[in-house]
Amino acid sequence: MSPRFVWARQLAALAVLLVIWETAGRAGLLNPLYAPSPSQIGAALVDLFGSGRIWTHLEATFTAALLGLALGIVAGIVLGVLGALVPLVAELLEPVMTLFNAIPRVILAPLFVIWLGIGIASKVALAFILVAVLIFFTVFTGIRQVDRRLVERVVTLGGGRWALVRHVYLPSVAAWVLGNLKVAVGFAFTGACVGEFVAASRGLGYLLSFAQSTFNSALMLAIILLIMVVVLVIFALAGRLEKYLLRWN
Amino acid sequence: MLEGASLAVGDGQFVSLVGPSGSGKSSLLRAVIGLQQPLKGTVEREVAPSDIAILFQDDALLPWKTARDNVALGLTLNGVRRGPALEQADLWLERLGLAGFGHRFPRHLSGGQRKRVALAQVLAREPKLLLMDEPFASLDAIVRARIIQDVAALVDRERISVLLVTHDLEEAISLSDHIYLLSQGPRAHVTRDYPTPLPRPRDPVRARMHAAFAPLYEKIWSDLSREVDRRP
Repeated sequence: MSPRFVWARQLAALAVLLVIWETAGRAGLLNPLYAPSPSQIGAALVDLFGSGRIWTHLEATFTAALLGLALGIVAGIVLGVLGALVPLVAELLEPVMTLFNAIPRVILAPLFVIWLGIGIASKVALAFILVAVLIFFTVFTGIRQVDRRLVERVVTLGGGRWALVRHVYLPSVAAWVLGNLKVAVGFAFTGACVGEFVAASRGLGYLLSFAQSTFNSALMLAIILLIMVVVLVIFALAGRLEKYLLRWN
Repeated sequence: MLEGASLAVGDGQFVSLVGPSGSGKSSLLRAVIGLQQPLKGTVEREVAPSDIAILFQDDALLPWKTARDNVALGLTLNGVRRGPALEQADLWLERLGLAGFGHRFPRHLSGGQRKRVALAQVLAREPKLLLMDEPFASLDAIVRARIIQDVAALVDRERISVLLVTHDLEEAISLSDHIYLLSQGPRAHVTRDYPTPLPRPRDPVRARMHAAFAPLYEKIWSDLSREVDRRP
């Protein structure tokens, strides 16, 4: 089989699966309460967009995720650089970060709701903590592994401290962060959705918990599908950005 | 560990340093350029540190900079403005046979081309003294011979003094005016030195066919072998 048409075969398999699923549903073989047919899920999706009520939820989740992502990246870089350069900071910070890295950080969600309320702040905080710890370790361990040969190269070309930061350390840090950008995006959306799931009045996570409490499987699957598409699109964008900025690699 | 190495590189002279592994050849170069301090003794430089350049065994180009940006970096770090630095960079890339490759990233160049970019980077700074630490060891034979020819010609033209550290006696003899032999470490020292009776300027590939080449090779080789056999 030609490797060129892998995607075509994958698509065909998906279509076959959907047809079987739909047929089984219409034949009464599946309980629509648990496993609504693809057309019912599609209808729920169309209703979400048609009624226009999806936008406020999308906006809430995007805002929380992207804010948490941006703040988490900045904090992760700043703390990682400080930790790598100032021994005292490393001493104090590393155990805390290691602890945060070891636990499933989403367990903090209820705590953030108590501290910050059911508004967007608690979701941003959760996305932030998920991303910041990841980026901290990326930068912290990365700086210690900067290629000594590049450092010596710039020094012997006459470069001082600032030249090293600008031509060696910053590009290295940028490369590691970009290399982890997709993971960070995934973390940010996990944080936002889980935060909304725990307690919120808006957002895709809130819609999920709403669908759960009303036993609306079609709506739930529609939202899961939507979140998948959203994250895939952002992944693709992050991938493009990474590929452009790391084109030297 | 190197102990007691006194050697001098005269103006425009090409000097090689050969010796067993671990005798401290690289440390000596690093001390000359100031990357490490000698435990004892001094390095006397008649040229300013900014007039000394070093070429390492690995090319160590910045992977996120294009070839011309890498070459220009050696100039901008020393106060040259970016525009003129890039012009110089293009000029040196052309001299090293890399016209048209300036916009490539190191990853998209071959090993030989990367070495040429690294050479352009150090030569563009117009050093008075060029240190080379086994710079061509990683290249295959033909690429290596070609690059050595170019280095010899450029060094002659620019009247650059060179201190080359190498394991390769042929390379040392075919390029140098003078060769120093280091003894087996620990406590290595300069044990012998040999003037090479080959005229300069010369083509290092054809120098191997010179009548004086084989006897000198034989002599240094037997001295070097004796040093290696003294391994404790």
